[in-house]
Amino acid sequence: MRRLLIFSVVFAVLLVPVAVLATGDGSFDGVVRSIESRYHVHATRIPFMGLISLVAGKSMQAAVSNMHVAEFENFAGPVDGDELNRMIEEKLGADWKRMIRETSRRGNEQTLIFVHPEGERMGLFVVDLDGHELDVVQVSVNADQLNKQLGQYEHHQNAHRLPDRD
Amino acid sequence: MKNRIIAFIFTVAALTAPAFAQTAQLPAPSPIEKELAARASNVDEITLDKNTLAFASRFMNGKDKDKTATKQLIDGLDGIYVRDYEFDKEGQFTTEQIEQLRAHYVSAEWSSIVREREHNGRESTDVMVKIVNGKTVGMFILDVEPKEVSIVLILGPIRLEDLNKLKGISGLDGALGGVEFNTKAPDKKSGDQ
Repeated sequence: MRRLLIFSVVFAVLLVPVAVLATGDGSFDGVVRSIESRYHVHATRIPFMGLISLVAGKSMQAAVSNMHVAEFENFAGPVDGDELNRMIEEKLGADWKRMIRETSRRGNEQTLIFVHPEGERMGLFVVDLDGHELDVVQVSVNADQLNKQLGQYEHHQNAHRLPDRD
Repeated sequence: MKNRIIAFIFTVAALTAPAFAQTAQLPAPSPIEKELAARASNVDEITLDKNTLAFASRFMNGKDKDKTATKQLIDGLDGIYVRDYEFDKEGQFTTEQIEQLRAHYVSAEWSSIVREREHNGRESTDVMVKIVNGKTVGMFILDVEPKEVSIVLILGPIRLEDLNKLKGISGLDGALGGVEFNTKAPDKKSGDQ
């Protein structure tokens, strides 16, 4: 019994660092910090984003939640798309799968969209560089709920639309 | 001790069962793609697995017949893999690299339904389908132009005419646009799809 206990403790001690390394730090702040550090830029964060996220979540009946936004202005110099992609992948960890990558050398444009299934929800992580501006957005979406909300909006819009005059 | 072994076996079986139950998986990218990406001026990569497709299809609820048909199509698919490489000038890839790309994705189970070669092989279009028990369970499209290489791999029940429906998914519109243009005429001619 004692041997089993020791084995369990050793197994847990060995497993924890492996799990941490495998998943990266997986946080929005981790990605923003690494961009700041690598490209020597400073992110502009939206004030009261937590509150905005909460209000948006409540008003949309949790269709959209966990919103994070950071904006980098005056992003100077060319960006190596492979390096940016690698850095984001490492920070997000293996749980996040890249869905879309668009990269253009000429226009200094990069778009990376990662997804992470969260049960009924889907986590979306977007990194978009357009010229000298880079935006980082994280959001958690409940597709069914969002679709319902959008449906209500469309219904409302259609109800107030004037009939076409021939 | 015996009970512990039985419990262990059951736990392992329970954990591994979902892995065996999974449907067709998207293959790992070919090493050639990395070489193409390194030389390309524009690269578009779209990878949609079963989970992501299920997420996308949830936005297609409604009474619209087209949306319902697209939703059914997407729900049945196992994955979509699109790569598009655009180059500033010609000669950025070789015929051998294209052959290696084709060989990476296509095995003996795949049958060619469209094969076009133009300008001494500098332009080509291949559309291949994987048929199992008489049903199409995959489609592979490789479109090569002097300054562009496009790869589309769709796993699951799919027909050529279904490609238009997939354009509704964000990001696939541009990637499938050129491919459809190239495959439309031979498809009508063959009349087998």
